[in-house]
Amino acid sequence: MRTIRCLAFAALCLAARGGENNSFLLRNATVHPVSGPAIENASVLVLDGRIAEVGPKAAPRGKVKIIEARGLHVYPGMIDSGSPIGLAEIASVRETVDTGELGDFNPQLRALIAVNPSSEHIPVVRANGITTVLVTPGTTAGARGAATSGLIAGQASLVHLDGWTWEEMEIRRSAAMQMTWPVIQSGRGGPPDLESLLPGLAARRTTFAEARRNQQMQVRKIQDFFDAARRYQKAKAAGEAIPPDLSYEAMIPVLEGKVPLMITASREREIREALEFAAREKLRIVLAGVRQPGKALDEIARRNIPVVLGTTFVTPLEEDDPYDEPFTLPAQLHKAGVKFCFASFGVQFARNLPYQAAQAVPFGLPYDEALKSVTLNAAQVWGIDSEYGSIEKGKFADLIVTDGDPLEIRTQVKMMFIKGAPVDLESKHTRLYKRYMARP
Amino acid sequence: MKKKFPATMLAALAAVLLAWLPAPAGSAAWTAIRDARIVPVSGPVIEKGTVLLRDGVIAAVGAQVDVPASAWVIDGTGLTVYPGLIDAMSTWGLPQAAAAAQPAAARAGQQPPQQQAQAQQPAQARSRGPLDRPGTFSWVKAADLVQPDDARLGQARSSGFTTAVAFPRQGIVAGHGAVINLGGKTAGEMVVAPEAGLWLALRPSGYLGFPSTPMGIMAYFRQLWLDAEHYRQALALYAADPVNIPRPPYDRALEAILGAKRVLLPAADPVQMERMLKLAADLKTPAVLYGVVRGYEMAERLKQSGTPAILNVRWPSRDRDADPEQPESYRELRIRDLAPTSPAALAAAGVKFAVSSDGLETPRAVLRALKQSIDRGLKPEDALRALTLSAAEIFGVADRLGSVERGKIANLVVADGDLFDEKTKIRMVFIDGVRYLPEPELPQAPPGPAGRGPTSGEWEEQ
Amino acid sequence: MRPLIPLLVCSAAALLAADVTVIQNGTIHTVTKGTFKGSIVIRDGKIAEVGEKVMTPAGARVVDASGKHVIPGIIDAHTHIALDSINESSVSVSSMVSVGEMLNPESVSIYRALAGGVTACNSMHGSANAIGGQNVVFKMRWGADARGLVFDKAKPSIKMALGENPKRQGSPQGLQIPGLQSPQNLRYPGTRLGVEDVIRDAFTRARAYQREWKDYEARKARGEKALPPRRDLELEPLVEVLEGKRLVHAHCYRADEILMLLRVFDDFNIRGVTFQHVLEGYKVAREIAERGHGASTFSDWWSYKVEAYDAIPYNAAIMHRKGVLVSLNSDDAGGAELMRRLNTEAAKVMKYGGLSEDEALAMVTINPAKQLQIDQWVGSIEAGKDADLVIYDKHPLSIYAKVEKVFIDGRQYFDRDEDMSRRPKLEAEKEGLRRKLQDQQKQAMPQNRRPS
Repeated sequence: MRTIRCLAFAALCLAARGGENNSFLLRNATVHPVSGPAIENASVLVLDGRIAEVGPKAAPRGKVKIIEARGLHVYPGMIDSGSPIGLAEIASVRETVDTGELGDFNPQLRALIAVNPSSEHIPVVRANGITTVLVTPGTTAGARGAATSGLIAGQASLVHLDGWTWEEMEIRRSAAMQMTWPVIQSGRGGPPDLESLLPGLAARRTTFAEARRNQQMQVRKIQDFFDAARRYQKAKAAGEAIPPDLSYEAMIPVLEGKVPLMITASREREIREALEFAAREKLRIVLAGVRQPGKALDEIARRNIPVVLGTTFVTPLEEDDPYDEPFTLPAQLHKAGVKFCFASFGVQFARNLPYQAAQAVPFGLPYDEALKSVTLNAAQVWGIDSEYGSIEKGKFADLIVTDGDPLEIRTQVKMMFIKGAPVDLESKHTRLYKRYMARP
Repeated sequence: MKKKFPATMLAALAAVLLAWLPAPAGSAAWTAIRDARIVPVSGPVIEKGTVLLRDGVIAAVGAQVDVPASAWVIDGTGLTVYPGLIDAMSTWGLPQAAAAAQPAAARAGQQPPQQQAQAQQPAQARSRGPLDRPGTFSWVKAADLVQPDDARLGQARSSGFTTAVAFPRQGIVAGHGAVINLGGKTAGEMVVAPEAGLWLALRPSGYLGFPSTPMGIMAYFRQLWLDAEHYRQALALYAADPVNIPRPPYDRALEAILGAKRVLLPAADPVQMERMLKLAADLKTPAVLYGVVRGYEMAERLKQSGTPAILNVRWPSRDRDADPEQPESYRELRIRDLAPTSPAALAAAGVKFAVSSDGLETPRAVLRALKQSIDRGLKPEDALRALTLSAAEIFGVADRLGSVERGKIANLVVADGDLFDEKTKIRMVFIDGVRYLPEPELPQAPPGPAGRGPTSGEWEEQ
Repeated sequence: MRPLIPLLVCSAAALLAADVTVIQNGTIHTVTKGTFKGSIVIRDGKIAEVGEKVMTPAGARVVDASGKHVIPGIIDAHTHIALDSINESSVSVSSMVSVGEMLNPESVSIYRALAGGVTACNSMHGSANAIGGQNVVFKMRWGADARGLVFDKAKPSIKMALGENPKRQGSPQGLQIPGLQSPQNLRYPGTRLGVEDVIRDAFTRARAYQREWKDYEARKARGEKALPPRRDLELEPLVEVLEGKRLVHAHCYRADEILMLLRVFDDFNIRGVTFQHVLEGYKVAREIAERGHGASTFSDWWSYKVEAYDAIPYNAAIMHRKGVLVSLNSDDAGGAELMRRLNTEAAKVMKYGGLSEDEALAMVTINPAKQLQIDQWVGSIEAGKDADLVIYDKHPLSIYAKVEKVFIDGRQYFDRDEDMSRRPKLEAEKEGLRRKLQDQQKQAMPQNRRPS
């Protein structure tokens, strides 16, 4: 039965290639809208790429393909809120990596235009149920503030993981402006007196005071840049004859609040400073890579700032931290009333996005919140929830059909639809699998 | 037993008169310090007694001592005589370059020494294995490098130190140390024992390439010692039959290793201690462990293995340069709390230990550090022993140094009170019977921003 | 006399029972002998009995496992945790070094791995050398000293490496030692061709060294006076490999280099090798299986290096189906991160390749035990083996499962409840120490200003 279904789906994919007919009825599955409780023995009717009806009584209208999904589950396609997918192929080979441009301020750069639709990562990642990614142009900082490429890396773009060209993949060209809050970069190591006596502690290079000063200078640079951008904005609005400047032009939607500023800030100190800056400048922000918010957590909640969490698969930051500290962070945010979504911040493990969320469930995060954090919450954070993020009438049919809970490891994704069009779940990996299984 | 001779009265009067005259120090064959409190260390305190010196040797010590008429008598009223203090692992008296690898020089902002060394040797070929003898200077002897005009000697003497066991520090097999007195007209005069032991380090420095890790260094030491043993066997075979056995090529590195009485190895904590004890057993050479920051956890095992220790007494403190929002770990807090209790723990367990000035700003800081330990329970006599007799015992010179006893070298420190009391002033030291007065103090500088403690201005950090 | 006998028996039993723990009424995943609801009796550190019904001696400590799952302690065949040095990268053959000497029992990674269900691991030398240093197998006996951690019954082993890492220093862009300018300081080899050469040359020299010593022993036996050969600590571990006394763990990626190494091992008659990473092992699974070597790999890593670009998550399943003994590992170096999630890594072979639950669990228990040749003592829940056991609150292959308790040699080393209740106490103690040290510093300050 399963083989027949797979063949049918494959046939559907072939039939739908290039076709406009993105209409079908997914029948007799357990549907998980995310915006509401799961519905058993239900169906989803998709017409011209949009969800027309959801429920036990959903019936085909006109000539639509019937896809039997008995015993299966339907979920919204998952959303990765930060990954250089399409921009990075092999991490150790710089020629294949297009994130991290030179220069401090590059708001005019747009991630979308260099997304390689033929990247092997795209089929690999979507095979595990991820339909949408926010492609980020900057390198992302680690929890300890590893060196990043610049202060403003450029515009992050929302894309579907399917399309002949990046234009076809595009959901929103400028979904967020990526910025990194400067970090105090004093070398990690023990105090000098211990260090000289105990091997294994790295030697210190910069004093803390020097590092602090450097950081403050970077913050100053950011302030100056924003001031200059505002002056440009005012001059332009007043109709003055000023030479066009692409980078200031790119800042205007941010200053007007139309595009959120996605600020990478992991620890309490950076988060505090970023929040103050945003309040002062009256900017709409999203905090990314939050790792150790400390007392700033309440402030984040109070100001309703959404958060993009990186992977839970890290070790605790401090030697004395509880062993499960990274796993409990999402629950902490939830308890404080902060809305958050997840990002892989990479390509190699981007397919494991749902497990990042799942890992927090045994450590205090309610399951429904985990599911939301990779679907509806993400759509809300990036302002596309009117069309994506849940299985509701009127939204686009970005759907996955699975044999179980997509946050659980054993689950297989059986079918995927992006805007109602069936998506091929084969990849380099499945091809190599079949080929070498068959080697005599 | 009091003898009532009028001659004694006359001599006493003469001595009192003479004490006020600028007597040329050391010109008299006999010197006597009279009516002083004497702390011999090897025996009970003599509340009021005399130390008699002759030709650089202690001729007599006691409550009743016959002082020859020709003696230069120093009034010891209100003064205490101790054995001269010994810095058990030092660089005093050696040229600064030989001390290049000292950890204290790695201040914040400065390059670690090995990088400086590398920067000075851009064209150096990298070591590709044990046969390249990386960082090996076993033939270097501190006794050959002593500089009597080292500016630090005066400061050391001013704080009561008369002796140092000085070691070269470059490389991983840095060379042989020497027990040296901190005074003398020539280098040769200063050397008491020319071979105190081989100083070994577990941090790569002074070369490039193999070995680049502590485990590589340990493997290298084992190979080196095996090669030395093989060399010895080859030489023996050759000596027995020079006609048929090929002549082994002379190898200065191996020659110097064969003569090593002991090796000094670093061990700051119990984990490293176990590593070093095993290494020393493999090298079949007695070891002395230095560093021993967590001595409070190492005492029992040190005692059980019969291993002496040289404590670094630069008690760990909160780095003034630390990120204020970066909390210290529990481990660091505990070490900071307990490190000053290491001496007491070692003493209680019966471990033989001495003290090193490594990493400290001034020699005086050694005493201050031990005072902290005394405040935390270390018995003052144990502190004193570590600075004197124990140090001598560890290096096999206890027959000549370390206590105020007849027949020992006349190395003494005379203070106007308890040695570990902040208010006490050192009045004079004797080295080989020659008297040295403390150097004048420079005005006190307040603690600097980089976290330096007060300095007397004598010894500037390089 | 008669009433005394039951008293004696009872007291004897009580004495014995004092050393007895019974894990009761859990779902027991033995891995080798099926899964069932039952109990485990632990006596003197060993599994005395396991079954659906067991004899619970009076006075035994009972651990109620109803609703929970019990598996054998997880074994990670490839890590670098708890080592103060990992890689003697200065030379291409660093067989003379031993990471076991650098084992640091105070490393918090040990505790964190333990909290993730790992009870034993193979901590290894790094991969910068064609022939690396000696490895160490240890159990996560948190609190023991270095000697107390080491699994001394495990056969010693040595690391080898192929591919990009061991040839990196053979080209100017790969060399990163400061101050070196001249090309003479590059480290041979710079190509995969040279990597094979280094390995063949080292084993050839080891053979010659072996012969030299045999000759010397023979001459000594004949009463001749001879100088023994110079002992060479680089070659002695390699001689042990040739004599089957030391195992090999060979880091490799590409199919061609795996085949190359297989042939080298054939030529030198080296058996029982575990290929590590072996990300293209699926392409030459037959050749690996034919020789009875093992493979320890990642579940789903790929694309981080060129040689990992053909890596697929089906690697483990393909090799397993073709008859290779396969385990999954973490390669954790800095901290214990992935190794504490090896249970979910194991679950991935069910998703990628359709293996069964027991096959999945075997990947992180009995299979690595066999590769390390410690399966006589660990790796499954069978009577006679060490009581290395993990209790999960849910099915161990589910991402929603948490480790609740971990036993090693029958002693409980981890308890989540106890860990959680300890946290506020630790904070309080730290705060106390901080204040104490601040006071001490304040007292010391006025003294500093006094003239000395």
